[in-house]
Parts: sequence; C-alpha cells; structure tokens
Amino acid sequence: MSIWSLAVRNLLRNRRRSLLTGGVVVFGYAAFALAGGFMAQSLEGLREGTIRSGMGHLHIARPEAFRSGAETTLEYGLTQFEAIETLLRRDAEVVEVLPRIDFFGLVTNGTRTVPFLGIGLDPQREARVMDTPRTISSGRWLSSREERGVVLGRGLAAALGLGVDDGVTLLATTEDGTLNAVDAQVTGLADIPIKEMNERFLATSLSLASDLLAASGKVSKLVLVLRDGADAPRSLSRLVDDLHGREFDVAGKTWEELATFYQQVRILYMGIFGFMGAVLVAVVLLACANTMMMAATERTREIGTLRALGTRARFIRRQFLAEGMTLAALGCVAGALLSLALRQILNHSGIVLPPPPGATSGMPLHIKIYGLAHAAGALAMLLTLAISSWLPARRASRRRIVDALTHV
Amino acid sequence: MDARSNSIVVGEGLARTYRLGSTRVQALQGVDICVRPGDFVVVQGPSGSGKTTLINLLGLLDHPDSGRVLLDGRPVTTLHDDELADLRRDRIGFVFQSFSLIPVLTAAENVAYPMMLKGLARAEIRRRTGRLLERVGLAARAGSRPDRLSGGERQRVAIARALANGPDLILADEPTANLDSSGAESMLDLMRELNGERQVAFVIATHDPRVVARARRTVTLRDGRFVTSP
Repeated sequence: MSIWSLAVRNLLRNRRRSLLTGGVVVFGYAAFALAGGFMAQSLEGLREGTIRSGMGHLHIARPEAFRSGAETTLEYGLTQFEAIETLLRRDAEVVEVLPRIDFFGLVTNGTRTVPFLGIGLDPQREARVMDTPRTISSGRWLSSREERGVVLGRGLAAALGLGVDDGVTLLATTEDGTLNAVDAQVTGLADIPIKEMNERFLATSLSLASDLLAASGKVSKLVLVLRDGADAPRSLSRLVDDLHGREFDVAGKTWEELATFYQQVRILYMGIFGFMGAVLVAVVLLACANTMMMAATERTREIGTLRALGTRARFIRRQFLAEGMTLAALGCVAGALLSLALRQILNHSGIVLPPPPGATSGMPLHIKIYGLAHAAGALAMLLTLAISSWLPARRASRRRIVDALTHV
Repeated sequence: MDARSNSIVVGEGLARTYRLGSTRVQALQGVDICVRPGDFVVVQGPSGSGKTTLINLLGLLDHPDSGRVLLDGRPVTTLHDDELADLRRDRIGFVFQSFSLIPVLTAAENVAYPMMLKGLARAEIRRRTGRLLERVGLAARAGSRPDRLSGGERQRVAIARALANGPDLILADEPTANLDSSGAESMLDLMRELNGERQVAFVIATHDPRVVARARRTVTLRDGRFVTSP
C-alpha cells in the first residue's frame, strides 16, 4: 500500500471528476506540444531560409569590417582572401567558402536612375549551396561565360522598366573616392521575398564588381557554409583561432549574430508562445484547483480520521500531491499521444498558412515533434497540478482534527 | 496521587468552550479524570453534556482552554503537532460512531494502516493484521472494502484498527450508535474480552444503556461537569 497505489485508488473514487481533470491536463499538454512544434518548425524554416538565402553559417572578414565607419566600399576588404580560403577549405567542417563583395551604387537604363544594394559573388559556388539562384523567375542565373551579367530584384527591374537581356549601366564610388561606371547586361530577374530588398537587389560576378569598384584582389568577406551549423559559434572560434595562429588579421561572426530579422522573429515567437503558455497554465490551474478543492472538501472527515489515527499533516499533503502528480503524469502521457495523433492529421491536411514574416508566399502547415515543447508541457502540467492539489490539501490538513471529524 | 502515578491518562481541570454561531457553549467546565491500565470506563450523559469533548481531549485530538492532559504522567499540552500525532498512533486507539474506515482500503489495509504509519516491516504488518482480523472474527472478510461490510463488521474492523499498534488506551465515541441490537451486544462482548485479555483500557462515551450495563466504572456528565465521581 504505497502512497502511489493509494493515489490511484483515490483518483478512481470519483472517476468522472478525475477524467474531467485529466482531460484538462491532456488538452493542456497537447496544446503546449502542438504550439511548440509549430513554432519550432516555423523557426527552423526561417533559420534554414536565412542561411540558404545567402547568409551562410559564418562570416570571416577584417575586424574593422564588423564595425561601422568605413568611408568607402572595400576600405576594410580582405586582401589575402585566396590564401585564407585555401586554408579554410582544408577544414573538414567547411562545405563551401564563398567570397563576397558588398557594395552599393546607382543603376541606370539611360533615362532613369535608381539606387541598388549590390553583391559580387562566385556564381557557380553560390549555385551549389545557396538558394539565391532558385529565386530567378525570369532569365537565368549568373555564369562565368557572362562576366558582364547582373541579376536584378524584380522590383528594381520594374522601377527601371528592364527585362532579361536589357543593357544597364552601374555607377559606384571606388576605394579612392572617384565615381566609376561599367556597362552590364541583365541575365535574370529574382523574386526576393522581402519587398524592400526586391526593389534594391543586384547580384553580379566578383570580376564585374571588382571592375566597378576598381579594387581587384580584394573581397568584403568570406561566407562559410558548414556541414552542420548546429554549433556554429564553436566552429567559428576554432577557425578564427587557427587563422590568427597563421598571422591573418581576421574576425568572424556567426549567422545568428548577423541575422537580426531572424532574432526579432524568434523573440516574437517566444513571446507569443510564452503568453499562450501562461494563459494555458492559468486555465488548467483554475480548472484543476476547482476539482482538487472539491475532492479535498469531500474528504475532510476522512482527513480528520487519518489525523486522529496518527497521520502527520505533511503526509496528508503528500498524499494529495501524489494524487495530483499521478493525474498529471497520466494526463501528460495521454496528451503526448493526442498531440502525436493531431500532428499526423494536421500535417496531412494540406492546410496552407498565410506568408510568415518577411515572405511573399504561404507555407504548408507542418508541425514537428519538438522535445522542448513536450518537456515544457509536462513541466507546466506537473507544476500546475502540484499547486492545485497542494493548496487545498494544506488547508484541509491544517484544520483542527475535531472540526474535520464533524465536517458534514 | 499514587493512583495517578500509575495511570495512563489523566485530565486535570479540563475546560473547553466552543463557539456555536454567535453563542459560546461551555462543553466542559473543570473536569478531572484518571484512566488506569485495564479500566473499562463508560462516560454517560445526555447529548451536549460534553462526552465527545472529553474523549477528544483525552485522545489528544483537541486542546483544553484550561487544565491539562497527562499521558504517563507527562503533560502533553506543549507538545508539537507531530509529537501528538505519534502519541496517538502508538498509544491510543479510536473507535468512532460512524466507523470512519478509509473507503478505498480493504478491511486488512484499514487495520494495517496505523502499523504502516509506524513503519513496521511488511511481514510483521501482515502477521499482526491477520491475527487481529481473526480475533475480531473477520479473517474471511480481509479483502473486502468497507462498503461490502455490514455495520457490525465495519465496527469490528475499526476495533481491530484501534488495536493495531498495541495501544494502552482505546477511546470509543458512541460505538454502538449505528449498530442493531445483536451487533451492539456482540461489539460490547468483544470490547470486554479485549479489555480482559490485553489489559487495554477502554473509555467509552455513550448514552446507550446496554453499554452502561457492561461498565466496570461509570461516570456521568451533565452540562460539562461530572455528576458522579470519576
């Protein structure tokens, strides 16, 4: 006759009430697991999207480049980038190294001129590991055969009334402060999910960007794609230490440090999830506290008898706590099964959600199994039941024994 | 004084007042009582005379407003709640009017409960429970829940439970009130036998004349005072 077997028997005394309370726990747990799974899936999608849309896992550049204040483009460019690249490629963790030139300037069709945010890159390597080439909706991605080619955001092209194979002129300030211009040809139009970027985006080859900026042998940074980005900070620290050991004056940042939009969305999601969780806990707490209070009140006389027989007050409280914990544990198991069943149904329902923040197209509903949400659900339900069973038990066990014995 | 020195429980000048709505009821007004090993004391008196209050005070279930209770010559007034619980568990058995068995436990488990509280070994609990149920004639109903037992059988289980930890004193409050004639007679026979066999003192609060007729010592309470000497 352990405290747990006694707890089960007491729960079975009023099956309907226990089922009702257990049901609240089941739905509470399932709501936690599903909402958490949805949030995790959305964040995972956003994270992968951020990394594959050009961010990569790590950025390596000169330390000054990470601090604002460069007066001209490539003022703090990497000059020995090819040597660094060769070293980085030897690392087993590194899948790809992408040299990039970040620049800005003006693009004109001869009659209209619009500012752009440009990126000079290696088209073949980018096509291997990034999704940017797949955003081309008209024309084609850049190639080494078309060194004068540029890809424009569809919004930018629309502002200039340009189409595929049209000619444009790019204007930018060189490192020494003079204005330079090069002719280029539009090879493709890209649909960039963020509207503001769509109206400013321009990508071209490293050679054209170097020509425009009159800065050959220099890049803004090296973007690294890792085999497994789960532990990017550790990989970064190891790689930068290695480069420092070889006298390269570089610094690095992980994608998480640079992706402010992702961080903002993550904080927003955590806030929503936290708020939902708090509301859920409050609802479960109120529902369970009510039934546990009824159970304790109904058993006041019995508590009086137990106390008269020599049961210490804390044993009575422990007994009620065990009942609450048993109910919570069973509810969590049933809640986990329910959430798995609902997840299967929802993932196969074909429901398409509205576009997430920063995207232009909707995404199919998909809920992943997120261990942390299950753990949070279980912990929340156990704590809620602990509080809702402890408080009435504490009250009942503190009652004078003679009053408890005559309770009607 | 000598008589008190070998007593189990002594009540000295016990007074207790209750609040009943806006009125104050003086349940006991300076009562003295002494219970010795092997006593079979019946406390009689009309309803509201203070019988249950006296049982509650002697059973360490309540505290007197004035006066004191001594167990084995030691005052219990200042003891901590847990110490009082341990004394009730080890030294005193209770038999209530409404049986007060734990409904989710079988007859055997109800009897075993105080022993479990005391932390006795499982084998010892099993052995003692079997013997006690056999003694009260309910060995065959060991696995039955209280709702499957008759009133008489429930009260026998309650007596077996009261004897579980080998107490010196059993306090019974109207033990025959919910029993029919034969049940009450058989219950009284059992209590007298146990009293004789084990030298366990019984203090029984009742207004049942059948119980009074079996008493070795009778005291009468009226309006919170003894009208016959304890």
